Amino acid sequence: MIDIFRGIQRDLDGAAHLQRLGRLFSETVLIEVDGREVYLTFDKGRIEAVVEGPSRKTPWRFALRTDAEALGKFWEPIPAPGFHDIFGLVKIGRARIDGDILTLVKNLRFFKDVLALGRQTKEVAA
Amino acid sequence: MSIEPITGRYLTVTIGGTPHRIYFEEAGQSRPVLCLHTAGADTRQWRHLMNDASVTATHRLIAFDMPWHGKSLPPEGFETEEYLLTTEAYIETVLAVIDGLALDRPILAGCSMGGRIALQLAALHADRFSGFIAIEASDFQPAWYDIDWFHRPDAHGGEMGAALVSANISPFAPLVERWNTLWMFMQSGPGVFRGDLSFYTRDDSLIGRLAMIDTTKTPVHLIVGAYDLTCTPEDAARTARAIPGATLSVMDELGHFPMSEHPQGFRPFFLDGLAKMARGTDQAGQAA
Repeated sequence: MIDIFRGIQRDLDGAAHLQRLGRLFSETVLIEVDGREVYLTFDKGRIEAVVEGPSRKTPWRFALRTDAEALGKFWEPIPAPGFHDIFGLVKIGRARIDGDILTLVKNLRFFKDVLALGRQTKEVAA
Repeated sequence: MSIEPITGRYLTVTIGGTPHRIYFEEAGQSRPVLCLHTAGADTRQWRHLMNDASVTATHRLIAFDMPWHGKSLPPEGFETEEYLLTTEAYIETVLAVIDGLALDRPILAGCSMGGRIALQLAALHADRFSGFIAIEASDFQPAWYDIDWFHRPDAHGGEMGAALVSANISPFAPLVERWNTLWMFMQSGPGVFRGDLSFYTRDDSLIGRLAMIDTTKTPVHLIVGAYDLTCTPEDAARTARAIPGATLSVMDELGHFPMSEHPQGFRPFFLDGLAKMARGTDQAGQAA
């Protein structure tokens, strides 16, 4: 899984339009998958670091907690209903969003589009 | 070069004692179909069907921008008013447009909040219509988000609204139409999406009125997309079950804005809905 997030980091480096959308976004986001932590540290629309947890010392702005199967379905080229969006995962009970949700909402298109980069990364990896 | 058959004009009607300048578009001939857009959007959501000759050969499609939306201005004095749509104002608006355009018992086709008000009108003013196509419509949907997110001085409500509703668009939707659909939300005036959502997520008065709907006089057909997180197929099915004689179609590959996000995918379902709109009481009993 960490490889997919590193792939997202790489793809974001090449996605000028996403960097423009996220130019005011410099926060750390916790992604927790089946209890395993990954910290994505954003700096002005780029991912500066992808760091595996666990960590009790890393502050984060918001967290997306889900399971590996749900995230795998989210990254399918055509996800099934409910698995097609992070809010869909929440609605079907397969994810939880914690922390400063308003910051997420203010940067929602950016964050969702960045996370969706995993669809192309996953295809390449396969 | 091409020029579309859609024409647009303005109508001034009085709603709540105040004049409102309403923008409306139409295309086609014969049986009128009044089309209602979703929250935070406008008439452009219906443009594909209005450009579909197989629909407009036998139906006159009319769509209007709700006050505060699209090319309909807010009423005089809006600068000090908090926009909060109510069931009563919405009903008055739809009936005022019908009167203003002298429409004789149109079919009412509404999506999302437009579908909700279509069912309210089916319960309270069925005699003004000849049938109802309620798309992505349900009895009630409490918010799974904070509607105040979408009207703040420190962020762009339209961009946040578009990012939120993108969760309701099917991955089968062509990219160009996904983004055309989202653009309308991005263009929405400040506080308008929030004011629509206030109606959509806080007014549960339809629940107790569903049993009043008489589908032997005016057929009711519900259509819902499987990728709609806001009004799920389960929500639409619950609503349809509460209306004796109502019918329901589920679209496996569509979301919350079917006529806009995936016109070709929606077309057969809309045509099927129109075919179910039997005329008047002579078709009584056939709605089920």
